[in-house]
Amino acid sequence: MKKIRFFIAMLAGKITLFGLKLLGRNATFLPGKIAVAIDKNFLAGLTPPKTVIAVTGTNGKTTVSNLLNSILLSNGYSVTNNSLGSNVQAGVATALLEDSTLTGKAKKEIAVLEVDERSSLRIYPYLKPDYLICNNIMRDSLARNAHTEFISFIINKALPKSTKVILNADDLVCATLAPGNQERIYFGLDVDKIHEEGPLYLQDIVYCPHCGGLLTPEYLRYNHIGRMHCEKCDFRSPEPDFAITEINKDENKFTVMHNGISESYYLINDNIVNLYNFCGLIALLSTMGLSHKQISDGFAKSKIVKTRYDKLQSGDLTITMQLSKGQNPTACARCFSYVAKCPGNNKAIIFVGDDFEASESPCWFYDSNYSYLADPSINQIIFSGPRCMDQYLRAQMAGIPTDKIRTITDSTAGTELLDTQLSKDIYVLYGPYMVKQANLVKEKLIAIGAGGEDK
Amino acid sequence: MIVEILFQEVCGLYGDSQNPTYLEATLPDAQFIYTKLTDVPYFVNNTPDIIYIGCMSESTQRRVIETLRPYKDRICTLIDNGTPILATGNAGEIFTKTISYVSENIETEGLGIFDLQVKTDLFNRYNAMVLGELNDIKIVGFRSQFSFLYGDNSNSYFIKCIRGDGINPESKLEGMRKNNLICTQLLGPILPLNPLFCEYFLGLAGVQATAAYRESAMNAYEQRLREFSDPKIPFKHD
Repeated sequence: MKKIRFFIAMLAGKITLFGLKLLGRNATFLPGKIAVAIDKNFLAGLTPPKTVIAVTGTNGKTTVSNLLNSILLSNGYSVTNNSLGSNVQAGVATALLEDSTLTGKAKKEIAVLEVDERSSLRIYPYLKPDYLICNNIMRDSLARNAHTEFISFIINKALPKSTKVILNADDLVCATLAPGNQERIYFGLDVDKIHEEGPLYLQDIVYCPHCGGLLTPEYLRYNHIGRMHCEKCDFRSPEPDFAITEINKDENKFTVMHNGISESYYLINDNIVNLYNFCGLIALLSTMGLSHKQISDGFAKSKIVKTRYDKLQSGDLTITMQLSKGQNPTACARCFSYVAKCPGNNKAIIFVGDDFEASESPCWFYDSNYSYLADPSINQIIFSGPRCMDQYLRAQMAGIPTDKIRTITDSTAGTELLDTQLSKDIYVLYGPYMVKQANLVKEKLIAIGAGGEDK
Repeated sequence: MIVEILFQEVCGLYGDSQNPTYLEATLPDAQFIYTKLTDVPYFVNNTPDIIYIGCMSESTQRRVIETLRPYKDRICTLIDNGTPILATGNAGEIFTKTISYVSENIETEGLGIFDLQVKTDLFNRYNAMVLGELNDIKIVGFRSQFSFLYGDNSNSYFIKCIRGDGINPESKLEGMRKNNLICTQLLGPILPLNPLFCEYFLGLAGVQATAAYRESAMNAYEQRLREFSDPKIPFKHD
């Protein structure tokens, strides 16, 4: 009976997939949803690829999945992945059923599955990952993810003890995940061991998880990312097995130390969150048995997708498009910090505010560190979208002079308030659901830069 | 004037940490004391003019209760004497009789100021908005929580809900109140989002202050009030 139910679920999923593709639709969710609705144990019924990798954590999942997929493909592996679609149970089921036979046998060697942390309980008990890579656990959507202890609770409850975990040593919430899993690999950054300039903000681990004593930071880069130890017991941040020891921005290279050997890789992007992403990837791929050359060549051929980051020139305007996940205070603060640190002294930021959600909760603005935006190199800040007045107040509370701030409720009209005499470096920050609107803003900026629109 | 902020290092989830920042901007001459979970609270041996505590995780909530339990009599005295105390999000739950953490199978005795029970279920998140009334002040706010309160708060509520739920989905009376102890499940930056309430709360401490950044705070508040009064806008969301 179990096999019949599974077969019907597989058939229904594949027919839905075929139908949606025939209609030219993005078939990354519904086929799996239907399959799981018919057979709630659908994922357990599959014969998965030989190696299953789960990519999870608050920030960087998609970047890591995409790069992992790209590096494995470039080395000749066959890979199933859901990086173009949904990272909840239905998305994972869709990706796997697409690359399975009717009897559920995997056609590919490796599955790279981006897994939403909240979906852990619906996935890991049925599909046991061989490897789990987690880059960080930070504050995220308060409506969905609540707080970091809750996310750890969910992952710990769901993850099989046999899974080999690849964890960020510099994030103590992440590093203490899955305490019962014996095979643990840590990665981290062994460079710039200093407090990041600007005010440190919210830490999501302050007290020792073992004895409750106050943790002493050795240094914190941002939030709780850094190294800490407990004065009352022997608890401390684990030493990284893989550590970035050098970053050479001029030559686009970074160096990773493992077992006393330093090896160099191509630097795709120097944002600190991405440095952690890259180091985690190297730790995972090395642990899987790929050679330095295989990984290094893969990095050299990879890039971050343009919907996440893009930089272009139009006339004398330099336009940087940067994904800045709404509802995710840490991801946004990282973007703010990145813009503040970029070279140049006449930057403008246009925020393409989410306009699809009625009366969105602005609470997350207050969890995000807006004080980076007070950097003197930023001389115009334009908040667009329905929540622009909330953003204005938040920015004012963060000490940003109000003469630098403009607001407009139309999320695509930020360029109307831009003074191109004041700023030549324009940064457009937008959430994942606002890519279309952000592209409209980009087109307007290109036209302005090319002299097509008088500003 | 002395304002004591309790355990901000762990009681500042969901933007709650910016309520003290807003108070600091509103009361530039006040002294702010940030008490850590490992410190003896200032209020134990002194009388602050205002006390604030914000949202926390469930394990922190249990630790906060145990930290404050030895000072229960002192807390009762402060409440009886009218010290303004504001507890946002799940912070107010520490003042109830019992908290049942059903998904963790733990039951904790609260400080027992209010004869209410809390049920916390980590597998059920409730997200909603609230439009309520405190005397003639409209209060706007957001909730994201694992818990509901049960029992009778008809003589001890914070606001009457015009839209949205009270202490549980069957209630229209939100929060708890005893003298100047105000507990609300509304979370996040309730003070900057409600400048009129901020001024009212400071009034309980005998301070006639103008809320910081009043013009922009009022602009955002009035826009939200219009949106929350729009019947087309749903009050519960995923």
